[in-house]
Amino acid sequence: MTPPVIKAMSDIAVRLTVSPAPHWRSKRTVEKMMQYHLLALVPALLMAFNMFGLPALSTVGTAGAAAVITEVLLLKLQERDVNVDNYTALYEGILFAFLLPAGAPWWMVGCGGALTIVLGRTVFGGFGSNPICAPLVAWAFCRLSWPAAMDIDLNLAHFAINAPLDQLKYFGLDTLEQFDNMDLFLGKQLGGLGASQILGIMAGGIFLVATKWVRIFIPAAFLVGVTVTASIFWMIDPEVYANPIFHLLTGSVMFGAFFLAPDVASSPVGIIPQVLFGLIAGTMVIIIRVYGIYPDGVPFAIMVANLLTPLLDRVRPKPFGGK
Amino acid sequence: MLRIHYSLESEALESISEITAPAELNISMRNKILKIKKGKKLAAGELLAERPSKYGAACSAALSGKATKVNYHHLTIKVDGGEESVEPIDVKSMGPGKELLRTLQELGLNIAALSSHADNLVINGLNPEPGISVAEQLLKDEKETIEAGLKLAESLVNPVHTYLAVAAGSSYGLVGTERVFVKPKYPNSLDALVVKKVTGKEFPDDTKVISVMDLYNLGRVYETGMPITDTIMTIGEKNYRVLFGTPVAHICNELGIDVKSGDKVVLDGPFRGEAVYSLDEGVKKGDYGLFVIPEGTFPSIEDATCINCGECVLSCPARIQPNMLSRYAEYEMFEMAEKYHLHSCFECGLCSFNCTVRRPILQYIRFAKDQLRTSGQAEKA
Repeated sequence: MTPPVIKAMSDIAVRLTVSPAPHWRSKRTVEKMMQYHLLALVPALLMAFNMFGLPALSTVGTAGAAAVITEVLLLKLQERDVNVDNYTALYEGILFAFLLPAGAPWWMVGCGGALTIVLGRTVFGGFGSNPICAPLVAWAFCRLSWPAAMDIDLNLAHFAINAPLDQLKYFGLDTLEQFDNMDLFLGKQLGGLGASQILGIMAGGIFLVATKWVRIFIPAAFLVGVTVTASIFWMIDPEVYANPIFHLLTGSVMFGAFFLAPDVASSPVGIIPQVLFGLIAGTMVIIIRVYGIYPDGVPFAIMVANLLTPLLDRVRPKPFGGK
Repeated sequence: MLRIHYSLESEALESISEITAPAELNISMRNKILKIKKGKKLAAGELLAERPSKYGAACSAALSGKATKVNYHHLTIKVDGGEESVEPIDVKSMGPGKELLRTLQELGLNIAALSSHADNLVINGLNPEPGISVAEQLLKDEKETIEAGLKLAESLVNPVHTYLAVAAGSSYGLVGTERVFVKPKYPNSLDALVVKKVTGKEFPDDTKVISVMDLYNLGRVYETGMPITDTIMTIGEKNYRVLFGTPVAHICNELGIDVKSGDKVVLDGPFRGEAVYSLDEGVKKGDYGLFVIPEGTFPSIEDATCINCGECVLSCPARIQPNMLSRYAEYEMFEMAEKYHLHSCFECGLCSFNCTVRRPILQYIRFAKDQLRTSGQAEKA
């Protein structure tokens, strides 16, 4: 049926805007969401600059630029609107950079930034359609393809300190005496350039939760999962397993909790699924750290949990008036 | 400055003011069966159109005049200022039964809630949406008429219990009703949630719900025997009595409201109302408010893909998944939408309100419901 043409009745001097209800809306937009997320990364970035110097900034810049340029090219190829001005590509490029050691080879950083967009998002339909947190896809690709270029101790060999998780993995619990918890908290440790800045990441994460751009459920459940699982191992044998505080303050636990796990597209919706998702991811972190071959379990733990998202989304409450 | 809020409380209410009669009435004919012809001379109160549904209300002329324009969408009446009017019908002497129901329908009342027995009768005395204070205005000023309407409704429904749901902290009451307090925060004013609060059950079969606005109209029909041809609307801070068909432009002129090109004019509430496309659009039954939203106040709706952020799911009072529903509706998979509990939705609009990518989720849900209804009718035929 062709809809009838509705003519203006008589007054066309005033042309009104029409839209479906509701006519009041919250002022949430993707642009604003991403601006707040980028703002939340600033404290960690400043701390990373303080710790690692200019290489930290150049790594972030390279990855961010590569991501944005790749996104533009791919959107053009797909003949879609080029909407990089919503900052999503930039944000995810920077998230990828935050996982890298400062001063990682530029070609790999560029590749990773591009892969974040290509393999992380575009092949699945673009922003918002990715089943797995996009920066982690690129991280895993690079980690498996160029292990040396991604290695934290190797890239940061000019620092007199060691990467805590690698020490734990390869040299055992006794070597952890060299680390002071306060130093770890203040970011005086080796690791992903942004991810290791625990204080800055926490400040940004709490800012996002307070401004309601990130709901509390996933970060809280994730941290609970990490703490409880680590505590269980620690209570079984404190001579063999590290204490939960150490686990919380090292690697990408905080970064994962506040920035990677709550990634909008790849995390579940609904309160119960989000809590389960956080708990599973948090538990996996410690299991990978204890039994896996990778020192830091966070990226793989979150990717595994991402794969469970469609399943977790099936856990839903009884609908209103439903049986 | 526009204040977005969920509060259903009304500030200190003045009395209801009148909007003067316009020179022309524009009456929407959408979903109605026209009963008159173009050029016909009409008396005030004369039947214009009926609804195709079993319980729907008929529509009558508010003023005497001549039907000058009739098309698919609208009926225009040129008002002649005459005194001619239909004879009142003696509703008071009618006993409950089919004849009374039929008469009420013809006089402009929806009889869905009145046409059969129910154990519980719930009167929804909450203001329907933020920014609208009609319900409390009527409870304050028109208590006797509402009680007359209630008596008539009770004679038809024969309820065991009659409850009145009002905002917590308010002192409104009606004779013969048990008062239940509801937190005055949208979406608690919606019938489904009011019934849940009163009876503790979700979509119970033994409960009928009726708003104080409908009771008031019922009371007026009972007292006067004349058809309902006006509605009470909140415009700004005050409530006005407006005749059906009064063009929005006339109201704006009378009240000095300035509307510019690009603005949005909404009849009924900000969450569930309808944006009119022309200032000539007339007010209809069930419009309890008029809102002008200046251009640029809100980011516009977009044809964007869902990013799965979950805000709609977390804000949904019906505990369903608007994200999935809107996707199924978008790709015309209406049966899947039904499986995802489409019919639990009572259309509060909070999903679209909160949507980060500004998808028209409520519209998709209404579309899916409408398509299912149409295809259901086609199968029956």
